[in-house]
Amino acid sequence: MVDASSAYLAIGLMALVTLGTRIGGAYVMRFVPLSARVERFLEAMSSSVLAAIVVTFVARGSLRELSAVAVAILVMVAIRSPVWAMIAAMAVAGGWSMLAG
Amino acid sequence: MDLPETSPPAGSSNTSRATSAPVTLTYEGVVRGARRLVPVSVFVIPFGIAYGVAAIEAGLTVDQAIAMSAFMFAGASQFAAIDLWQGPLPYLSLALVVLAVNARHLILGAAISPYVNQLPPGRWFLALCLLSDVNFADSYKLMKTGYRDAGLILGGGLLMWVTWLAATIVGVFAGAIATNLDYLGVDVVMAAFFGALTVGSVSGWRTGLPVLVACGVALLTMPLLPSGWNIIAAALAGGVVGAFLPVEEKGDREPTAHG
Repeated sequence: MVDASSAYLAIGLMALVTLGTRIGGAYVMRFVPLSARVERFLEAMSSSVLAAIVVTFVARGSLRELSAVAVAILVMVAIRSPVWAMIAAMAVAGGWSMLAG
Repeated sequence: MDLPETSPPAGSSNTSRATSAPVTLTYEGVVRGARRLVPVSVFVIPFGIAYGVAAIEAGLTVDQAIAMSAFMFAGASQFAAIDLWQGPLPYLSLALVVLAVNARHLILGAAISPYVNQLPPGRWFLALCLLSDVNFADSYKLMKTGYRDAGLILGGGLLMWVTWLAATIVGVFAGAIATNLDYLGVDVVMAAFFGALTVGSVSGWRTGLPVLVACGVALLTMPLLPSGWNIIAAALAGGVVGAFLPVEEKGDREPTAHG
């Protein structure tokens, strides 16, 4: 269980960090231009972090989670629609839970 | 919100140049920005609902789940945060994971800086405080062709914010009513969404290799590091690989659409 005060502390902290990313890029540009290498770092990092979260989730889960994520990726590759990828994964995972018990 | 329609502009520092007419931020610009994004904002609704339901399942209260959407307004990082939502809350890894997921905002802000940095401090803040992929893509396109009202960014952001919040509220109450969310597959929404976003951001080995390295590092360090830190290690590793890959020779690079 997470108590209310630590929950709001965490939300406030994350809100500040997010706001920092929104204003930080333009702020830094007042003093030094962002180098192309720094931009490549940030760009690669923001896709890497999402991929890392997915593989961690799958590694912690069972075949149910693996199948759902695999289907989401296949749908995305096939029709490039994140909404349908999400719906397909939910259908696989939901169906799996119903059949398994 | 991080929708995969746009990628951040690589090398915006090359494309930044001084602009002639002064940049303003007016009410008309705000209204125009909001109107322009009405069709796009609809696509945020399913994700907002999914986030709301998933947040309740992760153990957030109704107020906390809604507060997170209101104050963060950054879908991918909110999903990432609720994935780490276990008491005692790991503040540092929450902050760092949110920083890594939202790092792309830094690139968007840098790209649009030639325009917004002409504004006085208060308006400068207003123009940037709701910056996201969607309103960036729309405003950047217009401002490059000579439009000078940064209200466009704020207006688009406000519309997306209201939509995101409303969709969250729907999801939160749906989640609070539903009994067994596993039957709906809600627990896989985040992974499916992130998997789709990753696929959308990869085009060729330059973008693919950092992601592969990150996956490897995440798996290898998972048994060694406390919760969330394997993700931070993986994000850093992927970022470093991306930064040091040989650069493709291209001219004036711009934000490109993936899909």
